[in-house]
Amino acid sequence: VSDYEVTVDGTVRSPASGWRLVLDDVAHGVGRLTDGERSVPVVVEGNGSEWVVTLRGRRIPVTVRTWRERLIAEAETASRAQAGPVLVKATLPGLIVAVAVEVGAEVDEGTTLLTIEAMKMQNEVRAPRAGRIVEVSVASGQAVATGAPLVRIE
Amino acid sequence: VSLRTDSSLSGDGRPFRRLLVANRGEIAIRVIRACRELGISPVAVHSDVDADALHVRLADRSELLGAAAASESYLRIDAVIDAALRSGAEAVHPGYGFLSENAAFARAVEAAGLVFVGPPPSALEALGNKLAARRSAADAGVPIVPGTTVALEDDPAAVEAVGLPVMLKAAAGGGGRGMRRVDRIEDLPDAMAAARREAVAAFGDGTVYVERLVSPARHVEVQLLGDRHGGLAVLGERDCSVQRRHQKLVEESPSPAVDDATRDALFDSARRVARTVDFHNAATVEFLLDADGNHYFLEMNTRLQVEHGVTELVTGLDLVAWQIRVAAGERLPAEVLEAPRQGHAIEVRLYAEDPYDGFRPTAGAIGAWVVPDGPGVRVDAGIEADTPLRPEYDPLLAKLMVVADDRPAALARLRRALDETLIGGLQTDSGFLRWLVDDPAFAAGMYDTSFIGDQWGSGPPIGDEDAALAALAAAEARRLTAAARAATPPSATVSSAWGQRAREDGLRR
Repeated sequence: VSDYEVTVDGTVRSPASGWRLVLDDVAHGVGRLTDGERSVPVVVEGNGSEWVVTLRGRRIPVTVRTWRERLIAEAETASRAQAGPVLVKATLPGLIVAVAVEVGAEVDEGTTLLTIEAMKMQNEVRAPRAGRIVEVSVASGQAVATGAPLVRIE
Repeated sequence: VSLRTDSSLSGDGRPFRRLLVANRGEIAIRVIRACRELGISPVAVHSDVDADALHVRLADRSELLGAAAASESYLRIDAVIDAALRSGAEAVHPGYGFLSENAAFARAVEAAGLVFVGPPPSALEALGNKLAARRSAADAGVPIVPGTTVALEDDPAAVEAVGLPVMLKAAAGGGGRGMRRVDRIEDLPDAMAAARREAVAAFGDGTVYVERLVSPARHVEVQLLGDRHGGLAVLGERDCSVQRRHQKLVEESPSPAVDDATRDALFDSARRVARTVDFHNAATVEFLLDADGNHYFLEMNTRLQVEHGVTELVTGLDLVAWQIRVAAGERLPAEVLEAPRQGHAIEVRLYAEDPYDGFRPTAGAIGAWVVPDGPGVRVDAGIEADTPLRPEYDPLLAKLMVVADDRPAALARLRRALDETLIGGLQTDSGFLRWLVDDPAFAAGMYDTSFIGDQWGSGPPIGDEDAALAALAAAEARRLTAAARAATPPSATVSSAWGQRAREDGLRR
């Protein structure tokens, strides 16, 4: 669990080494950061991958992701980057284990399109925007490489 | 002046037996505390969403005024008068904002046989019209900002005669509303329309006048306290130049920009303005100070100011208690009339605003609420931990004040106090305030009303050390909740996940 990827304000950051978090009021996330020499008061709020750390009065948004959450997030960002007709591509190599949509279906943003199994983890691929499915390029049981076209939405 | 004879004059030593506090939040609490110390039973008022608010809980009783919108509760003259009569109050303290400078309200209070804790209605009326006040001040020999002393029509010639750039101001103005800066004459029609629109919306009166822009300028104001017998105390100045949207964020006394000669001139002008009306109780005369030390009258606010605590800390006087005592007819004693000022006090306002996004108001609920304590520190707060913010009302959360022997010591104390301040749930301006105390220009006392725009902008980027510390804090927090979740079903919030973990830790012990 030590290999979180930590993003502070959009930039990947290495956590300060030699420091630790001590929580004094667990319910409110009130505590301090200390390296044994200095102590900096802090408020830490959030859950899952999304956190807000208040330091010297400033609320700093921090994303803490496991490698799996990172892959999913990258896939979603990559798909969303395209406007107009969207071709959803595989962002990681794996095995298609389920296809949840067929041509002609209307989907909302976030609708699960299909599931790719990679490194024994099932990763749902979601619709980057609302629209109609005009092409499904893969079938269940098929292996795909990174960048392989999966679904086209208009 | 007609006074109830069953109050202080009856001889039990208390100015009043019961007083209605016609406000909410930190100022209501401030007045309630003064009542307690004077032996007066405080009565609160509340809107339906404020039924459990801190100010309600601190009072002896509270009266419901109406719905959440201020226009249906705290601004309803009839409801407030009814509440006062129903509760048996003898006097009404309006606090600041809401009905505090409303002459019709002050009249209604007196017509109901109650005492209004504030200047006479005639003074509220005369000084509420900023344009009329400007004329009276000029007549009394007080310097005013060059500009018009009559209502401005769509008249580019009149504006050009004043000299660009100018400020358009609402005659009924206050709180920075109805104000527009005009740099180019072709922008005048749009600026006029905007200022009028804003003034009509805020005050129901679109009368606008024009003043030449004084820049750079400092905003310096003088605190007055008067009794009903002609006694008038001038209790020093406050520098309120650190502003955003023409509204104050930081106030200090004495002003780093005011020398003895300027101070004497300011005090003399303040006295002259006060004498243009029948004045007693508390008021503040506001001035602009230019780079050469010339001062210009802006307006006189006929109420207790948000920042009155700064003056209390350097004079040792309880201004709210004195407001109540002079309202009951007491004379100001020599200790007040000639109160010496000692040390240096600074106030910073904690607002639910994002200083990294143009001081945009933030919404939500306060989570953690840890406020500072210790020598020379005073916190006047209207909220507490785990409270939702009411979007209907002012976003002022609390005022943090410090006092010390001199300005450097006060700054060091303020830095310490801000480091002890921990607020969760939403962004406040405390990030800006913490930056401010380390800013060399502010530390040198070199700032004017454009300081925030010029020096802060949207604040500095997040520093490398802070980013690394934030990264560590969040990663460690995630590790802790992950450990807690291993044993429990997923929970929606960190508090419950951590709460669960804390309980488990407790069980293991």
